[in-house]
Amino acid sequence: MPEPVTNEIMIITGAGKGIGRALAEYFVNKGMLVFGCSRSGSDLLAENYKHFSINVSDEKNVQEMVSTVAKQYGKIDYLLNNAGIASMNHSLLTPGSTVEKIFDVNVLGTFLFSRETAKVMSKNKFGRIINFTTVGVPLQLEGECIYSSSKSAVETMTKIMAKEFAALNITVNAIGPNPVRTDLIKNVPDEKINALLNRQAIKELSSFEDIINVVEFFINRRSRMITGQTIYLGGVS
Amino acid sequence: MNSGELKEIIYSVVDEYFVENKIKNKATGETVLFGSESVLDSLGFVNLIVEIENKLKDHDYDIIIASEKAMSRKNSPFRTINTLAEFIEEEIA
Repeated sequence: MPEPVTNEIMIITGAGKGIGRALAEYFVNKGMLVFGCSRSGSDLLAENYKHFSINVSDEKNVQEMVSTVAKQYGKIDYLLNNAGIASMNHSLLTPGSTVEKIFDVNVLGTFLFSRETAKVMSKNKFGRIINFTTVGVPLQLEGECIYSSSKSAVETMTKIMAKEFAALNITVNAIGPNPVRTDLIKNVPDEKINALLNRQAIKELSSFEDIINVVEFFINRRSRMITGQTIYLGGVS
Repeated sequence: MNSGELKEIIYSVVDEYFVENKIKNKATGETVLFGSESVLDSLGFVNLIVEIENKLKDHDYDIIIASEKAMSRKNSPFRTINTLAEFIEEEIA
């Protein structure tokens, strides 16, 4: 890969499509060196983008990806733990295997990437980790028991890692998007989405730009005092 | 990497910790790393493990020291520099 314009290095999980794909394209266009991953490939073609087809809940896969980046560039500045899966269903109709899959990707994946990346960030005494949660946590939506529970775990992880990593000058924050038109909600009926929007202060879907805005705030060097925080979009609290 | 080289890496990380924390000590094989007699505080221990992993990476050894195998051992491999070096040697063999 060629020398990046900004010399900043970012890892984005779940970068193959949806929000992750949009984030990858945005930061690639800003000149960052971006390393994305997903189970499948990516159609993002750029000199400063490299994609890894891995399973984020596989410890060895994660270790190898982070290690490859670290060996080549000696540092990682930003980690966006965007990879996530959902299954909207009533608890009484949710198989145990679905619970395991959701927790594997959303919780274990976030944990493994944070742990391995923070080890690299600790060498340079700088890092920004952004986790992804959901407005489903504060809204406690029926039908999202397991998805929201996994994201509650991510929020707690965010707060505790923020404390554990503070001495290393690594901040850990989370963004909780409200619905955005992606595959994650493609099977959710419109009336459910509208009911959710009605519980927000700003009763609109978010766009990729709304998410990018918060990510840019968190990764800004001037946000050194912002850690352990979750920002929900749409005025949900 | 032989046992001697491995211990040198661990000594250097521990000695660095001593210098940073103004502790007048020098790492030896018997230096206690974990438990009530440890020369390191809890964060110092965490940093030590991470730093050793990072240094091993520089030598192309990619291992996670705090593995399930390490945690489940009856006798903790983290107790002294000697026991830690022995454990790492097994892992990279």
